Amino acid sequence: MDVDHNSLVGFAKSWGLFYLMLLAIGVVIYALWPSNRKRFDRAKKSIFDKDDRPGD
Amino acid sequence: MREFFHRKLERNAIGFVLAIILVSGIGGFVEIAPLFTIHETVEDAPDMRVYTPLELAGRNIYTREGCYACHSQMIRTLRDEVERYGPYSLAVESKYDHPMLWGSKRTGPDIARLGGKYSDAWHVAHLINPRDVVPQSVMPKYGWLMRNELKTDDLGKHLAAQRAVGVPYTDAMIANASADAYGQASPDSPYASGLSERYGEATNVRAFDGEPGRLTEMDAVVAYLQILGRLTDAAHRQAAAAGK
Amino acid sequence: MIATLTVAERQSAIALSMLVAFFGLIMMIAGSGDVLGVHGVIVLLFGLGFLGLVMSKYFEPEPPQERLTRYYDDPTKVGIVLSLGWAVVGMFFGVWVAALLAWPDLTLDAGWASFGRIRPVHTSGVIFGFGGNALIATSFHVLQRTTRARLPDQVTPWFVLIGYNLFCVIAASGYLMGVTQSKEYAEPEWYADLWLVVVWVTYFLLYLRTLQRRKEPHIYVANWYYMAFILVVAVLHIVNNLAVPISFGSAKSYSLFSGVQDAMTQWWYGHNAVAFFLTAGFLGMLYYYLPKRAGRPIFSYRLSIISFWGITFMYMWAGSHHLHYTALPQWVQTLGMTFSVVLLVPSWASAGNALATLNGAWDKVRDDATLRFMMVAAVFYGLSTFEGSFMAIRAVNSLSHYTDWTVGHVHAGALGWVAMITFGSLYALVPWMWKVERIYSPKLVEVHFWLALSGTIIYVFAMWNSGIIQGLMWRTYNDSGTLAFSFIESVVAMRPYYIARTVGGSLFLLGAIVAAYNVWMTIRMARLRGVTETGGTDEPVLPGAGAALQPGE
Repeated sequence: MDVDHNSLVGFAKSWGLFYLMLLAIGVVIYALWPSNRKRFDRAKKSIFDKDDRPGD
Repeated sequence: MREFFHRKLERNAIGFVLAIILVSGIGGFVEIAPLFTIHETVEDAPDMRVYTPLELAGRNIYTREGCYACHSQMIRTLRDEVERYGPYSLAVESKYDHPMLWGSKRTGPDIARLGGKYSDAWHVAHLINPRDVVPQSVMPKYGWLMRNELKTDDLGKHLAAQRAVGVPYTDAMIANASADAYGQASPDSPYASGLSERYGEATNVRAFDGEPGRLTEMDAVVAYLQILGRLTDAAHRQAAAAGK
Repeated sequence: MIATLTVAERQSAIALSMLVAFFGLIMMIAGSGDVLGVHGVIVLLFGLGFLGLVMSKYFEPEPPQERLTRYYDDPTKVGIVLSLGWAVVGMFFGVWVAALLAWPDLTLDAGWASFGRIRPVHTSGVIFGFGGNALIATSFHVLQRTTRARLPDQVTPWFVLIGYNLFCVIAASGYLMGVTQSKEYAEPEWYADLWLVVVWVTYFLLYLRTLQRRKEPHIYVANWYYMAFILVVAVLHIVNNLAVPISFGSAKSYSLFSGVQDAMTQWWYGHNAVAFFLTAGFLGMLYYYLPKRAGRPIFSYRLSIISFWGITFMYMWAGSHHLHYTALPQWVQTLGMTFSVVLLVPSWASAGNALATLNGAWDKVRDDATLRFMMVAAVFYGLSTFEGSFMAIRAVNSLSHYTDWTVGHVHAGALGWVAMITFGSLYALVPWMWKVERIYSPKLVEVHFWLALSGTIIYVFAMWNSGIIQGLMWRTYNDSGTLAFSFIESVVAMRPYYIARTVGGSLFLLGAIVAAYNVWMTIRMARLRGVTETGGTDEPVLPGAGAALQPGE
């Protein structure tokens, strides 16, 4: 297959952009997914747990 | 399903790293890929010549002293820039520039078309003390360029490395690099004729620093500054065609 | 510090030092008569120095097994000190180059002291020396605390930290000798670049190995940012520095790319260095130290995830906004502009998230200069990302590009965001690391805060003014339709702003010196207490004494 500059540009402009938008939507869905709420809440408070020793 | 998948991902650090690579990488690569063929968009300029060894040495000194931090070599396609500096820069004009020196800041003016604008003597005086010729200038002095002998013994290696990255230097150019550097700054020496043979009759051959006997870093830098914008006429031709 | 290494680890440290010294020797021999040889000597001495250091403590008793029940913080401590040392050096060179633009003869008649050679010492000194060391030091700390796992061994973190600083030393000394690739923010030559790849891959593997050992199932978001920083910087560094040396005995190389392709690669690197070195890494700091210091969890963890992915995949394509109206194909410029504008969304999401975290803790911000550093950092992050998106618009860029406005924008980010979040984080971290209840002098932190803030504001305003004046003067026409000003007239008009910039920069430098002094005195204070109260052991002296400021403990 002959890959020239214009076809790569075309690909980047169409599918590349489409891919990025799809990813953006995916990330938003993941972040807002209701059942993830509990884990995120736990995570954001986790840095306040006792932290002077590893592994407890 | 995707829920489960992401949880697994997060639990597995390597998987997570792969996800970062995939996300930024695929998107990034698809967008970056056209750049690897970008040279196809560069205009043709059959008259384009390569830097002589002396000019290349001058370019390396220009780099070494960080001149690119204050002088751009890229005239944008804006009316005021074209009127101030000359025809806007074409991609082809820097196709032999490894690396490019387009610059990002103009503490001093753009010098993409500096070649031939001033005399050698002006450049020498200006580099030794800019304020002797332009009283309000804030450019640093470069007195040592006149004091330092130019190192020419490894110029052949420089040309060979340039050829390795795609600049069309011939075997003869590489073999005679040191002699050509000397010849370009010593018009009366036997080395001068070989230079014109290899790089074209239009090549500047003169004692750039005003001292024919010595080959200094000043010779190299001035030779380089005097060729800026003159490796090809493509930009002028295009400007003339647009003007008609 | 060496006494905390096991005998086996001391042996690997000796082997590594010998290896470094050996490479130095090879460089010295191969590069004799070239600057490469000088760097060979530096590397050789560096290797021998560490060899001697480890040997001198080789017969100390083994550290107790009990060490494994604690975090390994020695590299972080050294990283903090190195970071502050580089800050003072890098900012000193910054003030010097700033002064040279107002008083160009304020230097020696020698190559090493000229503007073009000391400028990269400033940029690399602050970005890589100050910023990089702070990132490495804090990443080791955050990584261990958020994973509840100790670093897997005691040699790798030292290799990363010391190896990285060897790179910085080679870079800075090289610039003074005229060794540069001329690629902005990637100036070091091929051998330094290769060395950094080794160090960086080790850093990445260390991060992974620690993550694999973690006791927390979820990876806290700060680590995502640190990891993106490590990973993407590796890719950028390798691609942008592809070059062919003229010989293995010479420091000089020629970049693989040329012209327009090289320009695009350079600014793809340049802009993503801003994104992943100066943004992602420091956001990692922000997401850990700001909530810790404020005693409040991050406002929205979800938002931090969304902005993480946004930043990760959108920055990649924004670099071409550095090349508007140049010989770069137009579609690349347009795409770069579009992405740069959209980038405002995740950027402001991060800044807003940080500020919303402080909502309800404003009394702490008022009283605690350390927290105020972080708050101001978030504000400047928001400001400079807005400015960045704005300047990426082609019409705006036609005015701002090549002028001091760019310099002002960079410093709004570098002083206002990067340095402020770093100082804030270090001030929070230092008492935890040296186990004292508070920093030596909170008053001096306050002094530093105001020096830093006023310095930043003076600097940024001076550069905004000069940049816009410059840009306007270059494009102003008189009635007869010709350009109204010669270039040198625009240079003359810059002078007052260049002086103001020097003043602003000096204030900022002064602040950094105050910080270095304050941290140094804190360390001394901790040592004195350690000796008098507990006989010099590494046990926490006053654990949790800073409870008012760190409710997590």
